[in-house]
Amino acid sequence: MSARLVPPGARELPALTELRLEVRAFLAEQVAAGAFVPHVDTWLTRWDRDFTRELGRRGWLGMVIPTEYGGQGRTYLERFVVTEELLVVGAPVAAHWIAERQIGPSLLRYGTEEQKEAFLPGISRGEVVFGIGMSEPDSGSDLASVRTRAERVDGGWRLTGTKVWTSGAHEADAFFALARSAPIDPAHRHDGLSQFIVDLRAPGVTIRPIISMGGDHHFNEVHLDGVLIPDDRVLGEIGDGWSQVTSELAHERSGPERVLSTFQLLAAAAQAMDDGRLPTDPGLGRHVARLAALHHMSFAVSTALENHEDADTAAAVVKVLGTTGEGDIADYVDTLTATGWALDEELDTLLHAAILQRPGFTLRGGTNEILRGVIARGLGMR
Amino acid sequence: MATDPRELAAPTTPDPDLVAVLTELFADYRATRATPTAVVDLDRGLWRRLEGLGLTRLTGSESAGGSGGGWVDAAALLGLAAAAAAPVPLAEHDVLGGWLLEAAGLPNDGGLRTVCRPDPSGVALNVTWARDASSIVALWEDRDEWRVADVAIDRVGIEERRNLAGEPCDTVEFDLDDLEGGTVVAHAIGEQFHLRGALARSAQVVGAMERVVEVVLEHVRAREQFGRPIGRFQAVQHLVSDIACETALARAATDAAVARAAASDWRDPGMLFAVGVAKSCVGHAASVVVRGSHQALGAIGTTLEHELHTLTRPILARRSEYGSLQDWDETLTALASSAGHDRLWTLITTGRATPRRSDA
Repeated sequence: MSARLVPPGARELPALTELRLEVRAFLAEQVAAGAFVPHVDTWLTRWDRDFTRELGRRGWLGMVIPTEYGGQGRTYLERFVVTEELLVVGAPVAAHWIAERQIGPSLLRYGTEEQKEAFLPGISRGEVVFGIGMSEPDSGSDLASVRTRAERVDGGWRLTGTKVWTSGAHEADAFFALARSAPIDPAHRHDGLSQFIVDLRAPGVTIRPIISMGGDHHFNEVHLDGVLIPDDRVLGEIGDGWSQVTSELAHERSGPERVLSTFQLLAAAAQAMDDGRLPTDPGLGRHVARLAALHHMSFAVSTALENHEDADTAAAVVKVLGTTGEGDIADYVDTLTATGWALDEELDTLLHAAILQRPGFTLRGGTNEILRGVIARGLGMR
Repeated sequence: MATDPRELAAPTTPDPDLVAVLTELFADYRATRATPTAVVDLDRGLWRRLEGLGLTRLTGSESAGGSGGGWVDAAALLGLAAAAAAPVPLAEHDVLGGWLLEAAGLPNDGGLRTVCRPDPSGVALNVTWARDASSIVALWEDRDEWRVADVAIDRVGIEERRNLAGEPCDTVEFDLDDLEGGTVVAHAIGEQFHLRGALARSAQVVGAMERVVEVVLEHVRAREQFGRPIGRFQAVQHLVSDIACETALARAATDAAVARAAASDWRDPGMLFAVGVAKSCVGHAASVVVRGSHQALGAIGTTLEHELHTLTRPILARRSEYGSLQDWDETLTALASSAGHDRLWTLITTGRATPRRSDA
């Protein structure tokens, strides 16, 4: 058989389903009680620290963080079903998303004992909120070109530069900044980069909003003007920043948030077809089929990651297909609706939000153009 | 507290020994077969080889002379045979015809079977390999009953035709007495037949698409233009990446349906949805893969001597069997809209819109 891009599938067993149903029942109660209004793209756009803390109390944050650091000591597969259930119901999960998904695992892998003890229990309780500072005004897909400088000073480093598209920086406590700790060497562009844990309340940090085209404030520009980072807030090794930020990409790219951002819109469209408010159209079945297949594929990648198998190419496949699909759902529902059609307010709100969020789906976390290159490399073409 | 991942997820992979045997067998077949032709006839030599290895009755029960294999192994066989463009009726003879005979309690002498569903007048259209069979297994809906009849080839009328792949795909006319004399089977058998046929076709199309990806990769690495392999051009890389992604999605959907069928022996009420997801993803992938592969291969890929059409023609022929792509998308639309807002996710994760606490 041909070189398989994606690991073989796996069936979800009852122990996992039990957890899935437990989370689902809790979320249904929350919706019924009006604790949140289901929405699209909630892992970027819906921020609710009370809800996040409630998830922490229930043991659904920090699931892969060991119990000695205040986490749950559970598996990536268990985390997978919890995140799926949170996303399909359109719950407000943005406050903990970055910390839970990538900051926790990075700290576990590269953090010092003191750093783990300082941050992991708070992340697991949903009390410590993180952002991630990678992109810059002149560094998007070409991340190795970042210009933020880290200069050695007595007892630490001084960071100077500008990070952009930092989701939730105006609400977060801290972020990981990728900075150049040694001048760029054109022959080895990935060398000389380092990661720093930056307190966003520290002197020299200025956060300005970047307003999205719908008028919402999710992104920020974070200016670092000689911000002092003590030595104990260097993450991992100086000079190893590139391998540190790229080592966790499979987790970041293959998760259900790359597939389910517009699930609430698809569900509302299904209901509208049943009620006769939208015309019955086979496109609904096609989108449901792709989403179901992506659910299996994303689970297969999660299973491989649980078994410590390499899944970088597979993760890129999930992200290309998933983010294209979640955006196509927005456009599809839009093509079914005519101005003057008796839309209900709920569908209208979800549709407009989905259309405005759509461009970001295939940009964030590695553009689909970059990812097709990753896949081509996996296929041996480059 | 730590949970053993093996209690959370069960990988479903075919028997590695079987895969090794099949890989060698079909590699040998590919290396020794004649150059491609526009019309494709049954390869009796290959059929006898498969028969000798017990592969033509892979899913038959051992008491009925079969090998007792499950659907996971059968899907692997169908996929690898399709990847080799092997002109043998494995789906018709084993997973469909052999299964129907066993379900009806009818004897199976091992002679080559194909399978069809004649209309009320006793006519069946597009019966693959009919002219080559020793008898034809007919599933017939007679008033409120389903009957299975094993009708010898000399008792049917055959009008020879060929499908898009150039394979025998005949019109068969039965004597109504032969169909009325068939054995009554449970309704579930009649209903399952369509699903089994659709999933067998999906497994074949995915297998062929995976071989197409290989053929494309071999070509874009070897073919040079402007002084370098065309696979070095980003436009070509993106084209090939899209073909490979669609194939991977079709594979994930098909494997999930096969795993569900194998785990429940087709009794899972979510099979209709699972097979629909496979048929839909496979069918839409076929559009991208056939179009993109011919584009990547250039003019050489359109010639009779090239392997590509031995894959792309059957891909298109088979995606429209056991329900068109549109039929299946409409079935899924009906399931999704009746699930509605609150149960769409339950439908996606279980295949059923009515949640049962014991098994989601």
